Amino acid sequence: MNETLTDIFSIPVILIPLLPLLGFFVISLFGKQLKKSSGWLGSFTVIASFLCSLYIFLNLPAESSTTITISNWFYFKDIFIPIAFLIDSLTVTMLLVVTGVGALIHIYSIGYMHHDEGFSRFFSYLNLFIFFMLMLVMGSNYLIMFIGWEGVGLCSYLLIGFWFKNDAYNDAAKKAFIMNRIGDLGFLIGMFILLFHFGSLEYQNVFEKASLLGSGNFTLFAATLCLFIGAIGKSAQIPLYTWLPDAMAGPTPVSALIHAATMVTAGVYMIARSNILFALAPLTSTIILCVGIATAFFAAIIGLKQNDIKKVLAYSTVSQLGYMFAAIGVGAYKAAIFHVVTHAFFKALLFLGSGSVIHAMSGEQDIRKMGGLKKSLPITHFTFLIGTLAISGVPFFAGFFSKDEILASIYANQSLLLFTVLTITTVISAVYMFRLYFLTFLGDFRGTEDQKKHLHKSPATITVPLIILAILATLGGFLGMPEIFHAKHFLGDYLSSSITNNSANYASHYFEYGLILISIVVITIVIFSTYRFYVSKKNLPESDEIELNIFSKLVSNKFYVDEIYDKIFVRPLMLLSNLFLVLVDKLFIDLIVNLTGFLTVSSARVLRLIQSGNTGFYLFTMVICMVVLLLFQIFSII
Amino acid sequence: MNTLIYTACLGLFCMLAEIFNLRKWIIPTVVLGLAVIFSLNLNDWNHPSSHYNDMLRVDNFSVAFSGLALLICTFLFMLSSDFYRSEENQKHISDYMAILVFVLCGALMMVSFGNLVMLFLGIETLSISLYVMAGSNRNDLRSNEAGFKYFLLGAFTSGFLLFGIALIYGASNSFNLQDIYTYVSSNGNNISPLFIVGMLLMIFAMLFKISAAPFHFWAPDVYEGSPALVTAFMSTLVKIAAFAAFYRLISNCFLFTLQKAELILTVSCIATLFIGNLTALVQDNFKRLLAFSGISHAGYMLLAIISLQSNTDSVLFYYATGYALSSIAAFAVVIAVIGITNSEKINSLNGLGKKNPILATLLTMAMLSLAGIPPFAGFFGKYFIFSEALRNGYSYLVLIAIINSIIGVYYYLKPVMAMYGGAANQDEIKLPISYSLVLWTCVILSLLLGIFPDLFVTLL
Amino acid sequence: MENTLQSVPQNWYLLLSSFLFCIGVMGVLFRRNAIIILMCVELMLNSVNLLLVSYSSYAGNNDGQVFVFFIMVVAAAEVAVGLALLVSIFRNIASTDIDVLSKLKW
Repeated sequence: MNETLTDIFSIPVILIPLLPLLGFFVISLFGKQLKKSSGWLGSFTVIASFLCSLYIFLNLPAESSTTITISNWFYFKDIFIPIAFLIDSLTVTMLLVVTGVGALIHIYSIGYMHHDEGFSRFFSYLNLFIFFMLMLVMGSNYLIMFIGWEGVGLCSYLLIGFWFKNDAYNDAAKKAFIMNRIGDLGFLIGMFILLFHFGSLEYQNVFEKASLLGSGNFTLFAATLCLFIGAIGKSAQIPLYTWLPDAMAGPTPVSALIHAATMVTAGVYMIARSNILFALAPLTSTIILCVGIATAFFAAIIGLKQNDIKKVLAYSTVSQLGYMFAAIGVGAYKAAIFHVVTHAFFKALLFLGSGSVIHAMSGEQDIRKMGGLKKSLPITHFTFLIGTLAISGVPFFAGFFSKDEILASIYANQSLLLFTVLTITTVISAVYMFRLYFLTFLGDFRGTEDQKKHLHKSPATITVPLIILAILATLGGFLGMPEIFHAKHFLGDYLSSSITNNSANYASHYFEYGLILISIVVITIVIFSTYRFYVSKKNLPESDEIELNIFSKLVSNKFYVDEIYDKIFVRPLMLLSNLFLVLVDKLFIDLIVNLTGFLTVSSARVLRLIQSGNTGFYLFTMVICMVVLLLFQIFSII
Repeated sequence: MNTLIYTACLGLFCMLAEIFNLRKWIIPTVVLGLAVIFSLNLNDWNHPSSHYNDMLRVDNFSVAFSGLALLICTFLFMLSSDFYRSEENQKHISDYMAILVFVLCGALMMVSFGNLVMLFLGIETLSISLYVMAGSNRNDLRSNEAGFKYFLLGAFTSGFLLFGIALIYGASNSFNLQDIYTYVSSNGNNISPLFIVGMLLMIFAMLFKISAAPFHFWAPDVYEGSPALVTAFMSTLVKIAAFAAFYRLISNCFLFTLQKAELILTVSCIATLFIGNLTALVQDNFKRLLAFSGISHAGYMLLAIISLQSNTDSVLFYYATGYALSSIAAFAVVIAVIGITNSEKINSLNGLGKKNPILATLLTMAMLSLAGIPPFAGFFGKYFIFSEALRNGYSYLVLIAIINSIIGVYYYLKPVMAMYGGAANQDEIKLPISYSLVLWTCVILSLLLGIFPDLFVTLL
Repeated sequence: MENTLQSVPQNWYLLLSSFLFCIGVMGVLFRRNAIIILMCVELMLNSVNLLLVSYSSYAGNNDGQVFVFFIMVVAAAEVAVGLALLVSIFRNIASTDIDVLSKLKW
């Protein structure tokens, strides 16, 4: 707690969330007048926030942290909740990612949403989202985080259903919202447990008191498990992952910003923030590890058979999030955050690239109808290629380092089995990513003539963010190089002050060398085989009509998870709620409510008759009342 | 005391202005003058003094309520320039303004009286001026009827007030508040029954003035029939002055004998709450709705008087301020809408939300404040009164009051629903600057009061 | 003069003025002609005047008598306003019956 630091940073720290909030208000109030300039206004606020974050990053020493209290929100008995921002290296890292990637996506959206009638509405939502996301990462207690947590959920809902005239999109929005609510309930219960046991929601107080409890405490286990349920909902892990692929109904920039780069990583952030709690709850960590690896593997397999360009990316996001949770499960919090950062770069890049493709193809999302776009969209093609290389873990691209760090720490801390599963997953993700890339950009054009004529390069507002992200996706990995390169792990060192419980062991150097070697070999094999399969042999994914063998059928229908959920949870619930509707609501509650209302209104009808309008009657009533009251009063005194 | 004299001079100016043909200057001068008097009035803060043989007594209570009265009048006079813009009205503008300023004079006397004579004179100055103003729309039978009803019922109750004063005089040999207080406190259980009867008669008369049931009959009819601006005066200035006078009377004279009137006050409070809120449910005339709303608010304020405590005056002041601000905002919208549609029905607001969203938002906020929904002043006003009453053991009254607040929400939201639903009824309303100024100021002040209630509650 | 007033017991004054007051109230309640009602209100006020004067005389201070003057002035003003209102009503409906005045109700 450094007094001077607080003084220096209070203004930029307040500005960071305030600017997007102002942007939201201005754009939503004056959207009609602003017209297209609302896009630039919205981008400007986020860029300004980014600059403020940069200022803090450059001036705040990595090992120090500061809490900036905006106001004392409320006291309740001895529970005190301030509106305060905790600024430390973890927050600053997230700030830079959120505002940086956010700003790029804002600029991109100016080009992408240009023709949409809801242009300014879109930007007001985006700004609101950035505001809530900033609240989430900046808050100094769980309640502020929860406000941001709910807020981003709301914005996600609004933006998935942005084209609200389409019912399917609305359903997707509702699905996302409801699934998130299940998680949020977990978060809330976790918060209550913390509040109940520690009497505070401030990170510092909670962590201090939790450290006294020692490892394996049941309270900590319950609290962390509940918090993790919250993370499952928000970060789309098994079993609550099905909303994320459906969320692709929103405009592509939204998928890039919310459903790839920032919001879905909130769960990872939250756990990394509470690393002290989770490090003390080994059982929860094991659960997290299993859930993470299962999700990574499962989602990658589904991704193999998807034909919608955004759905492939969506499942890949789920899978990558699984990696992050796997890292958290073995206590490699830094690796998880590292992967959050690199993932934000390359996944945003891929989504924006796919958006550029969709834009050029006049809204076509099916990769079977694309192909050969390399010539017409050179910049998009190139940047998309970089994204693909990065996500597949091709050495020296961003994803390679972060992914290898995760793999290495899992190998070093857990069984060989889990390591093998995750490695296979890496191979699978390389396969589906290259499948996506080859089908979209190489080969012959398979779309209609109309689309071919309409193919056009994207404007600068689209390409510039792509290029910047491509550079980041290429170089981002150098933020954290493994030890064997004798370079500093910048991010790891930077985060050491906020993540104190990085309990993961590091793998031996030989293992690292081996891993790199294996990666190179495997990736090369994957690239060649997929190239032969999809480009040279011109194999196409089967169209929907053709009968598939059981396994393919299972995979391309996403293991029927949605249908199973529908049968097991949705329908019985609907039945039950219908029952309640008829029995309790209609028969019982409605009767009481209506009766009360009826009695009130009919007594009002009678009462108004007293007001007869006749002065003589008024005088008479007044005198009578006066006499009666007088007599009663006097008798009551005597 | 100077406040009263300056205000009276302002009234004289209005009358003289007609002779010197300065009609155009009347309203600006009055508004400006009131603003100046408002600031002069603040000089008396923390300087208690008594004047004219203790006829008038200036203390923080009177300064606060005089300030509030002046503020209300400043706002309402700002509305009047547009309200009286027609040629017919312009002819009589100096009369109207002079009489309205004299209403204020009466109110100032009522909040700072130190002698029952002064209370009587204040009430009569206020009432007689209002009888005239209520009937000021001479060719409209409704206005005539309102004026005459108000006059008849008012004069009749004045008789009771006077009879009560006479009995008290007979018992205590003085009209002076201090002397009466001394009489009451020195005689303990030996108080003459005449005094008690006199006190009860005076309480009846005051209940009439604050339009509490069962003496509320005049309010809805008179509010409906009077010109809208005069109704605004009645529902804000008059109600608050009457309450301040009532409170002053009780806390300075009858504090020890209040127990002997508890039955009357309790019955009246309950009846006022129910009649005000229930009857409001079925109104479709906006002015009449506001009249019943005023009656129900009188019920809440009565609750504060029943549970009289040392700091009830600041709670009452806070409540009155919140009520006055929201009422003025509501009336400003009503006057504007009546000016366009010539209809006082609630459904003449239909479609206002689309045609004039800002006006609609402001009215919504005013209604929410009246309904007592946070974060507006109305909520905290109610909250303070209720918690005060709970602390003094009137839980059953609080329960009734809460039930009534719930009923209240329904009819306060009726105009709001009308504004945001239904086909548009009126052309876009171009608000004169003075209206927007008054509206914005009232709503913002009401919000500020709601956000920083502590500032006011510790004031008196 | 005080002696003259005090030659009658104080309570008799009270009874007399209460009686007059009640007559006034009854008149207001049972008559329908606005002018007669006005007269009855005057009667109520004057009964109070009588009461005040007698009390003043017995108490030996002049406050009550001074108040009587105020009441007279106010009553005069009240009647002036009342009659003016009545005139304008009479012009509109050619009647002074208060039962006719019941347009504003409910």
